[in-house]
This record gives sequence, C-alpha cells and structure tokens, in this order.
Amino acid sequence: MGQLAEYFNAIGRTILTCSDGLAVTFSHLFRKPITIQYPDRTAKPLTEMLPERSRGILEMDQELCTGCSLCSKQCPINCITIDVQKNAETKERILNKFVIDIGKCMFCGLCVEACKFSAIRHSKEFEGTVSDVNRLKINFVEQPAPVAKPKKGEDPVLKPVGSIIRKYLADQWAPAANKSSDTNSGGKSE
Amino acid sequence: MTTVIRELGDEQRELVLNMGPHHPSTHGVLRFVLHTDGEVMRKAVPEIGYLHRGLEKIAESTTYPGYVPYTDRVNYLEAMFANEAFSKAIESLSDIEVPERAQYLRAIAGELNRIASHNITIGCITMDLGAITPFVHLLRERETINDLIEALCGQRVTHHYVRIGGVAYDADDNWLKQVEKFLNHFEAIIEELDNLIVYNEILVKRMADVAVITADDAVGFGLVGPNLRASGVDWDLRRDMPYGIYPKLDFDVPIGAGEKGTVGDCFDRFVVRVRELKQSCRIIRQCINNIPDGDIIGNVSRKIKPPKGEVYSCVEGARGELGVYVVSDGTEKPYRVKWRSGSFSAMSIIEHISEGLMIADLVAVIATLDVIAPETDR
Repeated sequence: MGQLAEYFNAIGRTILTCSDGLAVTFSHLFRKPITIQYPDRTAKPLTEMLPERSRGILEMDQELCTGCSLCSKQCPINCITIDVQKNAETKERILNKFVIDIGKCMFCGLCVEACKFSAIRHSKEFEGTVSDVNRLKINFVEQPAPVAKPKKGEDPVLKPVGSIIRKYLADQWAPAANKSSDTNSGGKSE
Repeated sequence: MTTVIRELGDEQRELVLNMGPHHPSTHGVLRFVLHTDGEVMRKAVPEIGYLHRGLEKIAESTTYPGYVPYTDRVNYLEAMFANEAFSKAIESLSDIEVPERAQYLRAIAGELNRIASHNITIGCITMDLGAITPFVHLLRERETINDLIEALCGQRVTHHYVRIGGVAYDADDNWLKQVEKFLNHFEAIIEELDNLIVYNEILVKRMADVAVITADDAVGFGLVGPNLRASGVDWDLRRDMPYGIYPKLDFDVPIGAGEKGTVGDCFDRFVVRVRELKQSCRIIRQCINNIPDGDIIGNVSRKIKPPKGEVYSCVEGARGELGVYVVSDGTEKPYRVKWRSGSFSAMSIIEHISEGLMIADLVAVIATLDVIAPETDR
C-alpha cells in the first residue's frame, strides 16, 4: 500500500514540478528577445557593435612601421615575418615585406603591446573566410619603401581602425586576374 | 559502433560496447569502453588522449609571457583560471608583487568566468538528461558574461587577461556598473532556475542516489572542486589555501548534503554547482564595492627570467584545483611545465563507480563530474 501511494505521489510531484518549469518558460513569451539576427538584420555593421578593446584580425600601417621586429620577437608562434634590407648606397633601411599569417595568429595581442609606434594593432574585423588558406598570409607592404622615422614627442597619425585590413580582405574574393599581385606575393615566396 | 560479445563461461557473457569518441552526450572527444551485461554495466573504462595538443611540451619552446596565451587553451571554459595559475607560479618564483587593484580585477574576472563555466555545466547536465530548455536559458546568460569579458579584455573565450604581475587591461567604472547590472539580473535567474529545472521530479529521479562517491573515495581518487565538495568534504582553495584577494572576502562554500538522496550522488554534484553561482555573485559584489584605485600591473621587465627553482601554484577553478608546476633553469624559457587539472581525476574515478550502473546513468555521471576533454588531455 505504501509503495502504491509513493508511486502516485511521484506522479503528482512530477506534474507539479513540470508545470512550475513550464510557467517559467511561458513567462519568457512576454520578455524582450535578445537574439541578434546575424548577419543581415543588425542595426549597424557588426564591427561597430563590438566593444572598443575587441581583438580582431591584425593590421599594420606601413607609414608607421620602423621595421624594428619587436612584434615578431614577441609572437609566441612566429606568425609575423619581417624583411628589412639596408640600401648599400643611401644607408637607408628598406621595408621589403611584412607578412602576417592570419591563419596561424592566435589573437593574443602580445605584438600590439610590444609595438612602440602604434604601427600594428587589432582591427575589429573577424570575418576572414578565404578559398585558400595561403591567402591568409597577408603582406602589408604594397611597395618596398624606407622605414618610418618617427620624431620623439610626435603623436603618430592613425588611420581609422580596420581601414587597412578591410581592403585586403575585400581583395581576397576578387577574381584572380584583378587581384593585386602584392597581396599574395608574400605568401607564395614563403 | 563496434560490438563484441565475449563468452566468459555460461553466466558471464558480456557485451563490449564503444561509446565515443564522437558521441552527442560526451563532452568533447571522449571514448568509453563499456563492458555490459544487458542494461547493467560491469565497468566503463575511459580512454583519453584524443585531444592531446602537447601544451606542456610547447612551454619548453616559448618564453614565459609567450606561454600565457597558450594557457587559455588548457580548458576552453575557464581560461581566466589557467592564466591566473600560471601567472601566480611565475610571480612567486621571481618575487613579483601584484598590485591590489589587479588582484580585485582577477577575482571579478575569475568569478565571472566561474559563473559562465557553471552555466555551461548545469545546462549540459540537464541537456544530457533530456531537458533542452535550461541549456538555452543558461547559454543566454553566459553570452552576456562573454560580452562583458570581451568589453574588458577583447576576447570572448581565450581571454589572455591575467598576465604575469597583474592584469592586462583596467576596468572603468562604467564596466563595473554593467557587471553589477548583470548580477541584479542574474540573481533573479538563479531563483528562477530552481523552479525551472533544479527540483524537477524527473531530473531528481534520474540523479538522486545514482553513482554515489563516498568522501573516502573522493579524497582517494584526488577529486577536487565541486566534485569533492559534493561528497561532503569541506575543501575550497579560496578559503583553505587563500591566495589573491580571497582572504578579505566573505563567502560560503556549499557542500553536498544529500538533499534528495545520499551524500555524493549525482544530484549533489549538480546542486553544489547551482549553489556556487550565488556565492560567485556575492564575491563579485564585494569586489566591486571595495575595489581600490591604483596600478594594474606590477614591476615586470619585458624579459622575464625567474631564478633557478621550481614552484607549484594552484587556483580554485570552476572544476576545482587547477594547478601548474613550473621548473625554471634561469633562462627565458621554462624547463618544464606540468598541469594538474580537475577533469583528469574526475575521469579516473569513472571506472571505479561505474560498476552496476545502467548505461543511461553513465551519461549523468559524465555530465555531473563535469569532465572537459581538453583539460583531461592538455
């Protein structure tokens, strides 16, 4: 008899507790939804909705880089390759290549912290799908040029965050013939 | 799935079943070899190593600051604690003082991370037992925490926030207010959770008196954290081996009391985690109220070369004691790094407690022991 009572008690408790749970679920019908309809129904571009410190794909401004290699020395996985050569006649240091392998990068931010000249930084871009993984090796040097020589006490002129990398990422899906050869040359010669 | 029927004499026929490595109810890539007799298990033998990434060997070829982002990958749900454990080891090895504000920020970020991790665990336990709604609700809350942490340090999962000597970024008042706003919202959710699922009779019946781990077994197998506390052992590193700012904080340590069955059953392991959510909220509130101004990182040179020696440092992570043993030979790179994680010991006890369990209960055991595959394999 006791067992039978316990059996029906359990059924009673099940119905009661389940309706408790369903009441909570039901109350959610009247709450504001928080879902964001990614990617095409956001109020503004998604990169603008990300917080200030968001660490996206790295970008490098050639006009600010002094070729000091502090960033590539700090990188734990060596995803930054820098090639600086000295011009024998003018004794100027020429920045030939600055390749960041985004496919390898782990977005730790150690290189950004190491750079004293604000040349390398995180953009807020994160959508970097490409058809070939080698295209993720991005060479940020368009034309080999002398390295920057910042004067002391002068603030560097920063370009808008993401403006540099966006150009390269847009380029990734362009037809091969139109694609600027600089973008990929770094990757191929590796 | 391969099946083998072993003939061990007339009465001892057993079916050997593979569960995993890819199975919807194992968290990550885990494999169990089940020896079953009908629906009842003789034993379940865990096989590990599918997610081995050689994190300990990698340490020998990176610098000390360069290894900190790798610690994010020890356990993808509690990156803050792994960062903190490794940083704490190097700090005590080379006598680096951590500023007080940094310690408060570590506690706030750590407890937020603990809530996020427990949200996943509680959600997964209920989902593995058939209730999908709570998982979605808790994942929504975790998403808010991820947003908060992203605003603080720039990444949602691999934070790389706690550094050797302090923390990487300062938090402004606006961020602290946002955290407080989230806590006000989340504490109501914890209350709601009790009604939604915790005392649901179906869930209670599935977990009460299942896979009881006695206090002796728990200590013997080296269980840590919520798994150990659920067995009635009152041990929390934050209180019993205090570090950082925790001695100044006031919080309770929930332990298993056999609320619906025996002490140390699956339900206790589940409910201890639910109770810990509230204590974490309490800790964060105290930290926000008392946080002082000041530096966020101590006096650390760019090249860290700890003196020769060895150190073991541990923190109370979401899965219990997350410890790291570092041997330094006086150079820029560690000589040896060894991780000690809660999931590994939780994994080792499964073979012991699985005897006589039903196959469906094994899912509850794995879920409530909170085994995370990457933490087991490193």
